[in-house]
Amino acid sequence: MEATPARDDLLLRLLAAAELRARVVSGNLANLDTPGYKRRDVRFEDLLRDAVTRGRDLGRVEARVETDVESPARPDGNNVSLELEMNALRENRLLYETYAAILEGRMNLQRIAVTEGR
Amino acid sequence: MNAIDPLFSGMRVSASGLAAERMRIDVIAENIANARTTRTPDGGPYRRKVVLFEALVEPSGRDSAPALGVAAARVVPDETSDFERVLDPSHPDAGPDGMVAYPNVNTVLEMADLITAMRAYEANLTAQESFVQMAERALDLAR
Repeated sequence: MEATPARDDLLLRLLAAAELRARVVSGNLANLDTPGYKRRDVRFEDLLRDAVTRGRDLGRVEARVETDVESPARPDGNNVSLELEMNALRENRLLYETYAAILEGRMNLQRIAVTEGR
Repeated sequence: MNAIDPLFSGMRVSASGLAAERMRIDVIAENIANARTTRTPDGGPYRRKVVLFEALVEPSGRDSAPALGVAAARVVPDETSDFERVLDPSHPDAGPDGMVAYPNVNTVLEMADLITAMRAYEANLTAQESFVQMAERALDLAR
């Protein structure tokens, strides 16, 4: 097995993107009742997928925060939905858990390697 | 980059939401408590109050950054609706025409507002707890 940091680095960046998304979703929830507020979202995984299919360098893909002006807004101009944000929060928690589990598995393999399996 | 610090700042985002919703709940409680108050220090009946929320964003005003939270910026009197006038000549605060002005508080509306404020409070609490769980998961990796 190749112990290159490159793949771990991608995992760390995925973790950082999930962490950023948690902050963005929490910001949306905090502004549930702020007139005129437009919800924000983080794009990273789909940008990575694009880069993979087009054979681009994954190291140059960065997480992006985007303002969502397309979701229907309430009469006060706010377009945050409590239900959809709670769903986004849960989805993101599972993603974070997945990335952490993969990273943990790789770290365990390295531990086995350096301790010669003992 | 410090891996735990963004989680702390996320917790503060949720905390600002908790504080703002709590402020809203307090103001709703004050409105309900004063639904029949005909005397105030300013004279006249109690006027319903509303909380103005304001999104906290980075000074640069960029849209491509997470919101830093929310602030219950101001509590302002609701001037959009009129006092309720009821004929009751025996009331000590009745005017010369026998009419008493009651506050512009609609209790049913306040209760509906209270429920949405409580739901929003709970949502912020859940978001905050999820940061704690993420931080604990990150700490597990270091064990």
